[in-house]
Order: sequence, then C-alpha cells, then structure tokens
Amino acid sequence: MTAAASASADAAGPEPALRVVVVNGSPSEQSKTMGLVDVVLDTLAKLLTIESSRIDVYRLGTGFTGAVEREDVTAEVEAELRLAEQADLLIAATPVFRGSYPGMFKHFFDLVDQYALANKPVLLAATGGGEHHALMLEHALRPLFGFFQALTVPVAIFASSGDFDGTLLLNPRVHGRIQIALADVADLLRARATGTHAPPGE
Amino acid sequence: MAFEIGIMTFGEVTKDPVTGALPSPRQRVRETIELARVADQVGLDVFGVGEHHRTDFVGSAPTILLAAAAEQTENIRLTSSVTVLGSEDPVRVWEQFATIDLLSAGRAEIIAGRGSYTESFPLFGYSLQDYADLFREKLDLLLKIREQNPLTWSGRFRAPLVEADIAPRADGDTIPIWVGVGGSPASAISTGRLGLPMALALLLGPITLHEQTVELYRLSAAEAGHDADALPISINAHGYVGRTSQQARDVMYPYFAQGMMENNHQRGEGFRISRPAFDAQASPGAGLLVGSSQEVIDKLLAYHERYGLNRAIIQMGFGGMPQKEHLAAIERLGTEVAPVVRREVAVRVGQPA
Repeated sequence: MTAAASASADAAGPEPALRVVVVNGSPSEQSKTMGLVDVVLDTLAKLLTIESSRIDVYRLGTGFTGAVEREDVTAEVEAELRLAEQADLLIAATPVFRGSYPGMFKHFFDLVDQYALANKPVLLAATGGGEHHALMLEHALRPLFGFFQALTVPVAIFASSGDFDGTLLLNPRVHGRIQIALADVADLLRARATGTHAPPGE
Repeated sequence: MAFEIGIMTFGEVTKDPVTGALPSPRQRVRETIELARVADQVGLDVFGVGEHHRTDFVGSAPTILLAAAAEQTENIRLTSSVTVLGSEDPVRVWEQFATIDLLSAGRAEIIAGRGSYTESFPLFGYSLQDYADLFREKLDLLLKIREQNPLTWSGRFRAPLVEADIAPRADGDTIPIWVGVGGSPASAISTGRLGLPMALALLLGPITLHEQTVELYRLSAAEAGHDADALPISINAHGYVGRTSQQARDVMYPYFAQGMMENNHQRGEGFRISRPAFDAQASPGAGLLVGSSQEVIDKLLAYHERYGLNRAIIQMGFGGMPQKEHLAAIERLGTEVAPVVRREVAVRVGQPA
C-alpha cells in the first residue's frame, strides 16, 4: 500500500537493493505483527541494502474484498498484487486468528497469480496470544506457500503477546531468532536483489 | 537487605464453600484490618492489599484500607498489591500513598501493576487498547513525582503539569515503588531497564516457571547500566501455613478451589481444580507455599536459591478463607517460618541475621 523508504547499513557499493514487500495480515493500527516486522526489517537492513514497502490487506477496501476473481479488482488493488508478485523478498506477516491466518490475508493470496511466487524467497512471521499458537507458521502458513512453490526461509519467526511492551518487541530470544533466520539466507537474498540502489544521502 | 516475609489479601467477600455463609462487607473490612494487626504483632515485614473493583472484594480502594491498617500497626510495611496504575491518576496515587507514609511514619510502599483484572479501565474511562501505553506513561509520571517537586511534565493521557506542587512528600527519603510482573518477558525487561524492584506474581506451575523472567530482568537491568544484583525481587504467591503438612492442604484446598473457580476462567466460566491437581501444586517442585512450617521454610529457601529473592508475600486467604484459620496461618508464618528463613538467608548471603 505504501511505497516506503530505503535503508542501508553502509551505502558503500553500487549493489542493488533488495526489494522487500511486507504483506500485513493484521487489522490493527497499532500492531504487534508490524512491531515484529519492524525488527525484521531493521535486522535485514544491517545485512544488505533494502527497499521496503507494505501492503495492509485490511486497508485495501471494497475493490479488494468484493473481488471474486483477479479480473474483478480495482486498478489500485491490482498494483498492490503486482507489487507483491514482483518482490525480491516477500514477508508474509500475520496474527494468528482462530487457529490460522485471517481470511482477509488468505483472500489476498487467493488473488495472487498461481506461478508468481514460484522460487521467490518468502519469510514467514506471526504473532499470537501465547506460545501455543507458534506452530500455525508450520502447519498453516508454510503450506500456503508450498502451494505457490515459493522458496520459504527455513526459520519462521513467532512472537507472543508477552514478548511485547505495546507493539515494541522486547524479548531478546525473538531478536536472536530473527538474526538466525536472516543470516541463513543473507547470501541468497543478496544474489536476488534487483532494486536500484538507494540515492545517496538517504 | 534482609529477607522480608509478608502477607497480602484481596479482601474477598466469598461464600464459604464449607458452611455456605456469606460474610458482610463490613465484617470483611474489619477482618482485613485485623489481618494487618496480627501480621504486625507476629513480626511479619509486609502487609499488602490488592485492588479489585467487584462486589466480591472489599479492596476497590486499597489505600483507605492501608490507612486504617496504619493506625493499628507499628512496624509492618504497608503496600498495595497491586495498584492498577494504568487506570489511575499518578498524582492521586502519590498523594494517597504519601499520606499513608506520614500516618505510618514511613511504612508505605507501592506495587504498580498493569493489572490482571481489567474492570477498572472502563470504570475510570480508559480504553484497554491503550493498556501498555497507559502503564508506561503513568509509571513514568509516578516516578517523576517521587523524584522532584515541583514538577513539569506532559503526556498523552492527562493534562500537563506545569511547576505543579504535589504534596505531601514522603515521610522519609522516598516511597519504594515496585513493579508487579505477571511473568511476561516484556514486563520483566521493561522493569529491569528502569532499574525498579520487581514483584513477581506466581499462581500455579513448577517452581522453575519464572527462571527466564528473572534472568531477562537482571540482564536488561545490567544492560541499562543498573546494578542488577542489587535490585530486589519479590514473589507474590499463594499458600497456607498449617499445623501439619496434611492439615495445611486440607484447610487451604476448598477455599483455594473456590477462589480459582471464581477468578480463573476457561471457556468463559470457572473450573474446579481437583484435589490431586492441587496436591501436585503443593509438592516440592511446584509453586504453592502450602504445608507445615518446615515445608514452607524449605520452599521459600528453594525460591530464594532459584531466583535470588529478597522478599516473599504470601496470599493465604484466597477464596474466602475463614478469619480464624487465616489468623492461625499468619501466626505460624510470623513466629515459626519467618525467623528461620531470615536466619538461613542471612547465612547464605553472608549477612548478620
């Protein structure tokens, strides 16, 4: 929805930026899920040059919710779908609702082209009320991207309500897990980066 | 600091599951003050009153009960357990506790908590959506009020203060402010970063349940530049000191089960903790501080060893324990348990008892 700022650890080389697109499944303005993603993006920006943008599925409006087929969506929603389809790295981030990801989040991926995510790096992240929701990532979210034949990052990231003060992620164990998840695939992501380098001074 | 042992109550107005009698609120407020008086007489260190805004508790205004207790006690420290700070005005909280501090010659303390019961938020016009921000901001204000007077301060949730004169001031140098933590890692980390003492609430589960919480608390305190080892930790836990191991369990069980039934819901309603499940929670590896004096001594020392505790506050009347049994347990805690635990801890940490 929002094309946003770039970030870079050391704007030294002319390396291309990794175009990261976050698909946000949270309905909340103040969202723990996005608090978690903020840490992922900050950590990623320390490893390589990134450009990030975010799609809030709950804010896409009736041009999205009223669409049954891809051809039904409005031009604005079409642009958001393409943004996701053309990402170098997709971050699929969602709260756990009723034992799974929200229907609105699924509806977005129901409209994504069947082959658009094939071999595309996808990082899975979720928040839940307690630790007992953690395996939703493996039992519900990863199979969704299995359908797309996407290249899911091996380590999925989960945080519980108790790990946050408001929307600020405090638990160092989760920070550590994010570092592990990203370090595993840093080289691969660097090779996949297609974005133009961030302009100097930014 | 010397190891401190105290008691706390929610001022339950609960139908006795054994006799069927429902005590009157008037009787319960008098009994609450009597608990404080007896706890003081038997040499306990702390008396706490919890805040609950429901007809089955007389603790909606804990400061008033603590003020009454101040008049009937000599040495015991008087604390909220806890003050639900997110739905309070920190200026008023300070004024009330500072007044108790004067009445009691410096014995007032505050445990500021987010609150595990949420009735107070709609009651005072706050939104639970702001739960975390409310607590953070109000704790910040309360700490600043303690630090300086007059005070200039502004925040999101109340009118700004400009050179505000907030009185009275503490009787002595300060009023201790602890933060109540229910065991979530983020609460422990926030509290550690602020360098504030942590009052860790325990309910059920293994005695090791909060090892990670305490570890994160000390790590965060150290990272923020505080002397982590000097920061006090307290546990607030349920228990009962009986004549014998068996008598303690037999007395505590029906009331504790009643309290759980009325306060801990699954599928929207209370559930009965079975006697075997209760007995399991009373075993040496589990958290409940129930048993003979010797058992409670052993478990408090086990807690001390595991968490490096400085204080334990035990709630022995949960679920409407009759006053007679409650007072008997307080007497055992003060005369049989506390002296031994204080002495043993002093030996461990190399201090004079």
